[in-house]
Amino acid sequence: MTKSEQGHHRERQDPHWIEWLTGIVSALLVAAMHGWLTWEAFTRAPTPPDLVVTVLTVEKTTAGHRVAFDIYNTATTTAAAVTVVGRLREGNRVIEENDVTFDYVAAESKSAGAILFQNDPAGRTVDIQPAGYTDP
Amino acid sequence: MAGEATSADDTKNEFNSFVTGLGRGVAGALFLALPMLMTMEMWYLGFTIARERLLLLLLVNIPLLILLAHRIGFEETFTWREAVRDAIIAYGIGIVTSVIVLAALGLLHADMPVSEAIAKIALQSVPASIGAMLGRSQLGHDDTEGEDKETPYHSELMMMAAGALFLSLNIAPTDEMMVLAYKMSIWHAIVVTLLSITLMHGFVYAVSFIGGHELDPETPWWHAFVRFTLPGYVVALAISVFALWIFERLGDSSAVEIMLSVIVLGFPASLGAAAARLIL
Repeated sequence: MTKSEQGHHRERQDPHWIEWLTGIVSALLVAAMHGWLTWEAFTRAPTPPDLVVTVLTVEKTTAGHRVAFDIYNTATTTAAAVTVVGRLREGNRVIEENDVTFDYVAAESKSAGAILFQNDPAGRTVDIQPAGYTDP
Repeated sequence: MAGEATSADDTKNEFNSFVTGLGRGVAGALFLALPMLMTMEMWYLGFTIARERLLLLLLVNIPLLILLAHRIGFEETFTWREAVRDAIIAYGIGIVTSVIVLAALGLLHADMPVSEAIAKIALQSVPASIGAMLGRSQLGHDDTEGEDKETPYHSELMMMAAGALFLSLNIAPTDEMMVLAYKMSIWHAIVVTLLSITLMHGFVYAVSFIGGHELDPETPWWHAFVRFTLPGYVVALAISVFALWIFERLGDSSAVEIMLSVIVLGFPASLGAAAARLIL
């Protein structure tokens, strides 16, 4: 408990045991957090962004077709302004190309997006690739 | 004062001081919520925020307001019933102020989906209502409390949570918060945690602000550090997690990345928690 007088507060000399218990649990949590972070800081090597795209679904929309995908960044550095280009191929010929930009794909994280095509991807090859990024 | 002020001719005075309290509430809501009312990410959240998370934030705000009301209030509140009444009034002021300011700034249109407009107002009403409640303590300061009063330990922690939530709401929706977390290394994060804890303790105990806390000369400094500062920091981090989760900032990230953003937000949150102990 804290005693207040004239705008000043004075901590009690004889605190309830729950205050000490809370304090000790908090101290353990803070210490555990620091221990974990220090361990990670020593063991986690900084690697440049490593981006992988996984196509999830191809669906028809009102005015075209949507190819939904996940993009993973498996490295320990975040990529910014990640451009993903989607190409629809028939044989060797590219019949449609669209792109989308992610503001960020965080380190060791997943983001989701979609590319829209006018032409039906059925029976054609859908090729979705990350095209570039900047450092945040 | 509880019983003293209720003589017969005081009804008018009471009404006047109530209106003054409302005015201070509006002023507090404007002062403290304007940065958020004028932040782009806060408007966008109006259509992106998950409705169940917004609802949870609105519900969590109620006990915080009641506690703040019990502590400071528009008038000297002594019963919890009056505290509940004052909390409702503060929430009302927060909502009305948000509507007026958002409309004046051209952020509410007639052709906007109703759910978006309501979500925008509801989101802004949370900091605005806390601002309205603080308005009295910050702007009024006719401190009548000459007598001793005791703050139970749990209300001390709740006040820190309120202060931490208030500053987190300012910062959690901004993109800068995430960019900082992306740019910093783990070593930076460790420095930020140490800085947060040191400043928290220093603000409350070492620097002699009005409202600062002091220890008996024979009590070692680490008593207060363990009993108040460390639990306060854990509360601030918990509030940061909550705020980031509400605004869907955690995403599908690894534990380390989440920890970094929590620590970045924990910095203002812990200062907010310390400020709450000084001000309230």
